[in-house]
Order: sequence, then structure tokens, then C-alpha cells
Amino acid sequence: MNTEYAYSVFMSIRHGLLALLSQGSRHGYQLRAEFEASTGATWPLNIGQVYTTLARMERDGLVEPGEQDEQGRIVYSITPDGATEVGRWFATPITQTERPRDELAIKLAMAVTTQDVDVAEVVQAQRTATMRTLQELTRSKRGLDSPLDVAQTLILDSKIFQAEAELRWLDHCEAVLSRRSLQHPQEEP
Amino acid sequence: MIDRDPSPVPSVVEEDPGRDLVVELADVGRVHQEGAQAVHALKEVSLEIVAGELIAVMGPSGSGKSTLLNIVGGLDRATSGRVVVEGEPLDLLSPPRLAALRRRRVGYVFQDLNLIPSLTAVENVMLPRELDGVRTGKARKEALAVLGEIGVADLGDRFPDELSGGQRQRVAIARALVGERRLILADEPTGALDTATGDDILRLLRARADAGAAVLLVTHEPRYAGWADRVVFLRDGQIVDSATAGLVTAR
Ligand SMILES: Nc1ncnc2c1ncn2[C@@H]1O[C@H](COP(=O)(O)OP(=O)(O)OP(=O)(O)O)[C@@H](O)[C@H]1O
Ligand SMILES: [Mg+2]
Repeated sequence: MNTEYAYSVFMSIRHGLLALLSQGSRHGYQLRAEFEASTGATWPLNIGQVYTTLARMERDGLVEPGEQDEQGRIVYSITPDGATEVGRWFATPITQTERPRDELAIKLAMAVTTQDVDVAEVVQAQRTATMRTLQELTRSKRGLDSPLDVAQTLILDSKIFQAEAELRWLDHCEAVLSRRSLQHPQEEP
Repeated sequence: MIDRDPSPVPSVVEEDPGRDLVVELADVGRVHQEGAQAVHALKEVSLEIVAGELIAVMGPSGSGKSTLLNIVGGLDRATSGRVVVEGEPLDLLSPPRLAALRRRRVGYVFQDLNLIPSLTAVENVMLPRELDGVRTGKARKEALAVLGEIGVADLGDRFPDELSGGQRQRVAIARALVGERRLILADEPTGALDTATGDDILRLLRARADAGAAVLLVTHEPRYAGWADRVVFLRDGQIVDSATAGLVTAR
């Protein structure tokens, strides 16, 4: 469970950095500052994590290092494969049932700051996927004989409450984000 | 969309007993004229509901959910597109035939209840049956049976203003379920109810669907939408997405 969590946060950081690079080339310190700004500093990153992640993404062909700037910092750019990967990340709802909600929050936070990504679509894709999960859970619960399967019923209930909470939270995100876009109609990049 | 019948021959649809169409909406629009402004309450909505299916409609306030239900129930008219209920194109029906179709085939739970204050609970539930020509004694028996199913049998003789909000809600639901309804339309039927009672209502609607009715439910509550075979998401009068529960069980 814990390793799964760590893995998922790691993947979100990777995708988050990639989303930032899809806006233009940046060096490590810039990436770190912008990542923290996008996610409201909820996921503090150390610079070592940033460079390790960049190195792995370079190995995987998602980013490439460019020249050094005046201060000797290497500027990274996204590759076409990297751009495809960002698009896929935004378009794919998170489906593990036991996922930490943080990954979703990172994704939405990045979607807001990434141009050309329709946040409403990201929210809706997730909503549909979570609703499908809720439908399945409700169906399984209907099939149980509740006095006999107490433990099973309670476990299902807990998952049902989680899915419900997530759907409500998605509604909330959408409301907050649409209010935000009304207040800042053409916020520049 | 992906979950649609993959059959390449669409013409078999009518003959397939597993796809007994109760409601068919094709490109339905509803425009309200507000002075010089046009309010598009629904835009090009297409939706099919087969017998045995429970469909939930979700969406923000003002997204057109009640409008959709009213149009399916023949209480409001589409300004464009086609609405067919039980094989009858609603726009071609005369008002009396439309009223008859509504009374016999359609059960409706309104968002704002509409119990008749001068009638007792049981009389309210009997009313649609009596209008159908069912004898008083039989209508009363049926009404008491449904009130029992819904857990308010002992409140039959009370008037609406002697009931709590949740109890009135249940009486209104009983009224929509009484008789053999082919189509049940419910607009926020769980509004004033606690979750356990709300679950009971959903269990009932689900049972009606499993017995062959088509049920269209508007709800804000994900937990109730979870009972549906399909959840349709409306936004600004349009269907933006739908979630279909895994494999449709073979009936
Ligand atoms: N008679 C009318 N004249 C003008 N506009 C109307 C009329 N009836 C409904 N509308 C508009 O149509 C839109 C859809 O209304 P509708 O009642 O279907 O929303 P809803 O999704 O049921 O909302 P709620 O969740 O608040 O019940 C709204 O913008 C509403 O203001
Ligand atoms: Mg409404």
C-alpha cells in the first residue's frame, strides 16, 4: 500500500514536470518552483528529486537536455514522445480503486496551469470512471445477503463512501475552477 | 457509446425482445423565449431507454434535468427533435391521448411533490388509478399495498400537512409506482430523505426496473446514481458523457 502510494506520487511528479515542460523549456530550479506554485506547495520537492526525475525521463526519451544558461544550469525540453505522454496522462482517468487522492489533485492542479488542456474534460473523464466504479460497487452490494456478509458489506460500504466523496470532490473542483476562470478570464501564461 | 449494441445490422433492434424501447429521444431541443433572449434548456439530446433499464441523470443546477424529464413525460414539449414513448411520437398525439398515455403508462415523482392537500395519503395514491377507471375498492387495496412497500402503510389516513417532508416524499413515490407503470420518472425523489430511506427508495425503483419498467431518475447524489445501469451527465442542456455499469446482465 505504502509503496504503491510512493510509486503513484512519483509518477505524478514525473507527469507534472512533463506538463510544465510542455509549456516551454525550463531548468530544474524553475521546474521545482513552478511545480510547487501549481500545486500550492502541497507537494514540496527537493531539487535532487527533480534532477533524478529528469534523468529518468531523459533515459526514457521524454525530455532532452539543451545548452547551459549563463549560470551553468541545463535547460530541458520536452520531446514529441514526452508531449504524447502528457496528453495521455490528462486524457486517462485514474482507475486503481485504492489510489491515493493526491495523484488526482496533482493532475487537476497541473491541468489548470497547462494551456491547451480542458480541465472540465479531465474532471469529466474522472467523474465517469469513478461513477462506473460506484455502479459496480453498488451492484456487488446488491448481490450480498447483508445479515450474512457483514464484513463484506462494510468493506463495500467503505469503498462506496470513498467513491461518493471523490465524486463530490470533483463537483467541488469543477465549481471552484469555473469560478476561478470567471474571475481571471484571460490569465496569461 | 462504446457499450452500445455492437450488432452491425440495426434493423433487428425492433424485433429483439431484449431491447424493448420505451423512450426514444432523437436530437431533442427545448428553447424558452425570454423576451429577445432564447434560453436553450436542452440541446440536441438523444437518449434511448429500454424496458428494464434504470437511468440516472446528473448535472449542475439549471443544466436541463427537469426539462428532460418533463419532455419525456409529455408535460413539456420539445421545440425540435423527436420524442417517442411506447412507440407513440408525442408531438403527434392530441392532448387527450397524451393525457391518457401519461396517466396509464407513466408514473411521475415531481421535484416539488404536488400532493393534493384535500386528499388523504391513501386517496392521493389511489387517484391516478381511479382516473384510469379502476374501481375504488381495488384502487384502495393497490394503494395500501404500495404504501406498505414503502414503509408508510400506517399513515394512509393522514392529510399531506399532517406528514413530515420525508413522509410526503414517500407518499408521492407510492403514487408514481401504483398500477403497472411502464415508465417511471423521478425528479430528486430522495430529496428530503435520510440515506437509509433513500436507499430503500432506490431499491424499490431498481426492483421496478428489474420487473420490466423503464426508470429515469434525476439525482444530485452519487450514491443513488450508483444504482443505475447508465448515468447520463448533462451540462448546459447537453449530454456530455455517460457511465455504463460493466457488462449488462443477460435477462
Ligand atoms: N419556463 C421557462 N422559461 C424560461 N426558462 C426556463 C423555463 N423553464 C426552465 N428554464 C431554464 O431552463 C434551464 C434548465 O432548467 P431545468 O429546470 O431543466 O434545470 P435542472 O437541471 O432541473 O436544475 P435543478 O437541479 O436546479 O432542478 C434553466 O436555465 C432554466 O432557467
Ligand atoms: Mg430540476
